[in-house]
Amino acid sequence: MSINAKALLAGLGIALATVAAIALGSSGLKHFDPALTGYAIGAIMAAFAVGYRFTVWAQRPPSRLYFKRGLELFFRRAPTPHSKPETQNQKLSALPIPYGAGTLGAALARNFVAQEFIRRRSGYRWIMHLCLSGGCTLAFAITFPLVFGWIHFESLATDAEMYRVMAFGIHLDTFSVHSAKAFLAFNALNVSGILVLVGLVMAGWRRFTDAGERATQTFSEDILPLILILAVTATGLALTVSYHFLAGRGHHLWAIVHMVSVVALLLYIPFGKFFHMFQRTCSLCVSRYKKVGDTGPRAHCRRCSTDFASAMHVTDLKLVLDQLGFDYRFSGERGEVHYQDICPACRRGLLAINQGRTLGR
Amino acid sequence: MIATATENEFFLDPSRCIGCQACVQACGECGTHRGVSMIHLEYVHRPTGVQTAPVVCMHCEDPTCAKVCPADAIKQDDNGVVLSAAKSRCVACSNCVLACPFGVPKMKAEIDLMMKCDMCYDRTSVGKKPMCATVCPSGALYYGPRDYIEKHRREAAVNEFQFGRQTVRTKVNMMTSPELTALPFDVLDFLPWEDKDFDPFALARVRDGAPDAANSAVWDEPALSQRCSGNCTCH
Amino acid sequence: MATLTQPDEKYIELYGPTPNFTPAGGWKIGDPDKLVKTHCCFCGVQCGIQLKVKDNKVVGFEPWEEFPVNQGKLCPKGVMRYMQNDHPDRLIAPLVRTKDGFQTAGWHEVMRKTVKAIQDVQKKHGKDAFAFLGGASMTNEKAYLNGKFARIALQTANIDYNGRLCMVSAGAANRMAFGVDRAANPWSDIPLAKVIILAGTNLAECFPILTDYIWRARDAGAKIIVIDPRITPIGRTADLYLPVRPGRDSALANGILHVMIERGWTDEKFIAEHTHDFDQVRELVKKYTPEYTEKITGVPAKSIVAAAELWGPAESSILLHARGIEHHTKGTENVLTYINLVLATGRIGKVGSGYGTITGQGNGQGGREHGQRNNQLPGGRDINKPEHREFIAKFWGIPEPELPKQGLTACEIIDAIERGEIKGLLSISFNPLVSIPDSERTRKALEKLEFFACIDPFLSETARYADVVLAGSLQEEDEGTVTTGEGRCVRLRNSVTPPGNARVDWKIICELADRLGKGKFFNYKNAGEIFTELTQASKGGAIDYSGMTYEKIENNMGVFWPCPSPDHPGTPRLFEGGKFHHADGRAKFHAYEYRPPAEDVDADYPLFYTTGRVVSQYLSGTQTRRIGALVKQYPEPLCEIHPLLAAKLGIKDRDIVKVTSRRGEIIVPAQVVKTIRPDTVFIPYHWPGKKAANLLTNRALDPISKIPEFKVCSCRVEKVADAPAKPTAQPFPQQIR
Repeated sequence: MSINAKALLAGLGIALATVAAIALGSSGLKHFDPALTGYAIGAIMAAFAVGYRFTVWAQRPPSRLYFKRGLELFFRRAPTPHSKPETQNQKLSALPIPYGAGTLGAALARNFVAQEFIRRRSGYRWIMHLCLSGGCTLAFAITFPLVFGWIHFESLATDAEMYRVMAFGIHLDTFSVHSAKAFLAFNALNVSGILVLVGLVMAGWRRFTDAGERATQTFSEDILPLILILAVTATGLALTVSYHFLAGRGHHLWAIVHMVSVVALLLYIPFGKFFHMFQRTCSLCVSRYKKVGDTGPRAHCRRCSTDFASAMHVTDLKLVLDQLGFDYRFSGERGEVHYQDICPACRRGLLAINQGRTLGR
Repeated sequence: MIATATENEFFLDPSRCIGCQACVQACGECGTHRGVSMIHLEYVHRPTGVQTAPVVCMHCEDPTCAKVCPADAIKQDDNGVVLSAAKSRCVACSNCVLACPFGVPKMKAEIDLMMKCDMCYDRTSVGKKPMCATVCPSGALYYGPRDYIEKHRREAAVNEFQFGRQTVRTKVNMMTSPELTALPFDVLDFLPWEDKDFDPFALARVRDGAPDAANSAVWDEPALSQRCSGNCTCH
Repeated sequence: MATLTQPDEKYIELYGPTPNFTPAGGWKIGDPDKLVKTHCCFCGVQCGIQLKVKDNKVVGFEPWEEFPVNQGKLCPKGVMRYMQNDHPDRLIAPLVRTKDGFQTAGWHEVMRKTVKAIQDVQKKHGKDAFAFLGGASMTNEKAYLNGKFARIALQTANIDYNGRLCMVSAGAANRMAFGVDRAANPWSDIPLAKVIILAGTNLAECFPILTDYIWRARDAGAKIIVIDPRITPIGRTADLYLPVRPGRDSALANGILHVMIERGWTDEKFIAEHTHDFDQVRELVKKYTPEYTEKITGVPAKSIVAAAELWGPAESSILLHARGIEHHTKGTENVLTYINLVLATGRIGKVGSGYGTITGQGNGQGGREHGQRNNQLPGGRDINKPEHREFIAKFWGIPEPELPKQGLTACEIIDAIERGEIKGLLSISFNPLVSIPDSERTRKALEKLEFFACIDPFLSETARYADVVLAGSLQEEDEGTVTTGEGRCVRLRNSVTPPGNARVDWKIICELADRLGKGKFFNYKNAGEIFTELTQASKGGAIDYSGMTYEKIENNMGVFWPCPSPDHPGTPRLFEGGKFHHADGRAKFHAYEYRPPAEDVDADYPLFYTTGRVVSQYLSGTQTRRIGALVKQYPEPLCEIHPLLAAKLGIKDRDIVKVTSRRGEIIVPAQVVKTIRPDTVFIPYHWPGKKAANLLTNRALDPISKIPEFKVCSCRVEKVADAPAKPTAQPFPQQIR
């Protein structure tokens, strides 16, 4: 495997950006807690790896094409059934208009926030995934800013019972340690931990009982991520337990174990199942691509004339196939036909016809 | 990976298919997708004949579907089985559906997920036969040792297909004439040309079949259609 | 007074058929409690299958690869058969007719009511005025019990069964030719044959599992000859296809024999030593030259010659036929002329050589052996033979004169009801409204009944007319044996118990007998006791089961009859050494001149109308129209019509057409296909009411076997509407356009 220069640059860029964000966000490390250095280094390494891996992946012909089209179509009006054939210069204003903003927003809300496609697959899995992704997101949303020193709490000089929330050196809020707000703020991580635990139990149950999952699951892809999340959650909760109920006994040890598990989780992100959260960004492009394709010019099967895809999709796939080194072109005396111009149903029929022909049946 | 003669392999012979759909019904019994059938079975052209085309995933050695997947969702296991799209990754773009040379992947639009035949992963991974090939009453789908096929069948098994300029090698074998080492694939013969509509009855003419039956031109015998419709005194 | 009190829709809403798409317990069930090795209930092949049982419900299946006949193979009906269990339409309590439909009732009430009605009818109109109709999808035990119940408890002569609509002509012909009614060879002989004739059998759709046997024969070099008015899936790849015009089968067989005799392809030694009456046949077929035969049959003369050239000199051969040549007013004659083709070559009773009719119903073979036929007593005995009557009367412990004489056959019973001669009916596992020709007449007959009781697990279209419906059992809720189309008696295992208040069929019958005062003859503790009695009743008969036990059947994966003693291994192949079952050990040729069907085409009705099955449905569909996946596969009947004919009539694919015969009309979508004779249209028969193909068919009976003429009558076709914009009845799979 050779080093991919673009990916290296992207990885370095993101890692540096993280470093910069830490440096700036913590007012020149003034609010950076040295005890959390391990976390910060883990996060920077993970940022590098995610950047690298993402770029490698996004350079693959099919992924690249979707990102490219996604960007193009974001600024292009989706044709309506009544609209005239598009002339490229039709609406060339000085500023590109983000026609795709609606689709993008809807896709973000539906696919990333509500994860509505999982609900359609299975209600059980939807709840399970919401617990896991919601819990993890909440946990990271709390811990990263803390680790990076973007947010910190100060007790007021005048009243030790009052806390001030500082974000990027700016005063955000003040509340009493006895208030509900304080309870929420200090226990948010525990809440996220419980959410995650519920999700984990549901996922584990499914992994143990579902015949289909049991057959296809692998340790590194399906079990390890659950173990990692479990380790982080369990050790995190252990910290709480040790702090609240055991008068801090074992806190130091748990803190180290917790940090190790968090760093392991962070480093797993780019290489395993969790990377899907970055890859699913592609679905945002696909949503727009489909929407434009549905109402735009259609591809008709060269054999049976059925409308089977958007013309854009078929043309793009030919391009992708060429880039990947596939050549499904048939040529003969009558001319040339690309297999992409034949609908999948006809391809299945042609398989039987061609096979029968070799046997005289 | 070369299987030995006694290892179980999948052999497909669509020419034997009777279109009964036992495979279609049984496919939905597999644990990885119970209630959803993955195998394809269609009439090739019902107006002219009863030939049907059963198509399972051929499990390409270098799967086009996986290569065109923008989300890395289609994986091959160590034995060369090409799995259904990973649920967490699939973005339902349909690239695989459109690119597969055999027309195999199914886009389940209602759940935004590509699903396909995974050779009954829940069964084959524990040494059982795939559902479709176990129940198939015609031998169009057979799962068993190469030994059996070589001993009992007149046709020979190949696993190479020539789609125009593209050679595709598969894990699943296709039965064909013993003279062939790869299944030649012709498309041009079966297309409408020069703005002429596809003649639905051309199929019987272009196909060399058994003298009477495979070729439904049997009905073109004048004895059948004109001389004696039964409405006469000749019998 | 058995008219419907509610519109059809109301019955459908309450009792179905409701297509069931979800298995008991849903799609994710986890591990089953047990796997039960049993058999599929949906045809005479009786494929081995393992049913998955959880919480007393059948929740799925697993192939049973060790069972030698099908080795795990199944057709779609077999795959989906488990979906009939735990079905929303299942009758879980007896029903009695009320002013507005049905009402559930207790067993005591319905039994009392039924027995009183039987006694009233018989007191008023005589014993024979109460008839019994049985079925051939039930176990041997029940078939035996039905016969005994009718003769001892009902004391009626009028008992028959729906096998009358199936293959009785073949049975009669087999007895006439060979002296016994059973397929001559086990199916394992099929792959060993070098030439196979499939006459009037849509084998790939009606007995899909046998397709594998045919292909294995072809793998070994066999040639296949298919005789059918339609290019069926097995016909598509045949080596020779003879597109016979409906109703002309005997002429075709005579024509093939003509060429064989001319070319010297008969086995004169075998004919002389082992048969009678070939000379009459030789004389008869002289005039059936290929040209003459072509004129009658519509099969090109060169194809007739080609068939003789393949069949005549073959080194080994098997001839199989099914309903296509049997469902005729000359069904017995058709079968006998085809048997002539076999006997003339002497290729019978040998490894890889022989003959068989492929029985269609689940227990089509066993159902016709143990005495539920109008003229038959257990052991295949003849109710008209004094020594047979004496044997059975003694065996049952009744005086011989009390044993009723021969009664009417199934269609004749319906006719007699129509004429007002039969006033009461008890039927089990029979849906004559869908399955008997001329449905409108059947309906009117049912309306005339003074009392009608049904034993059924589902409310069939016929059962809607009943006064009392006794909630019976499904195949998997009972145990027993069935005898497959090759004569192999196999064991059905109990998978679950009947749900709710439903009961096992044989217990219902035994209680009825008890309440009719004949309890001492029906004192069984389990199905096994009935089987033991059945085997002993068959001892010494033509159909001898006396050496069989449940244990022996299980250990051997089935036992072929005759099996006359405990140490007898059973008889997979009959007629070995040219020994036939007539008293003199010889087989008989029969010379039958071709004669036209009861109703031939004419100027008013210029087209042939023929009926048949589709692979996804079983018989009248009482079970299979309730299984969603099977319904989806072929949702409603279509009229197959050749493009030449369609063009002449201005009909396009999926146009709505009206097919009319002298008896009725049916309106269905057209399926314009080149796979049917241009002078013939075809509609499958599994549907009721306005979609019943049997609204049109002719209830003319074969004089010998009393089988009705399902396979040919005349009709006319006209277009009534354009194809709907979206095809309503696109049979799954969709077509590749």
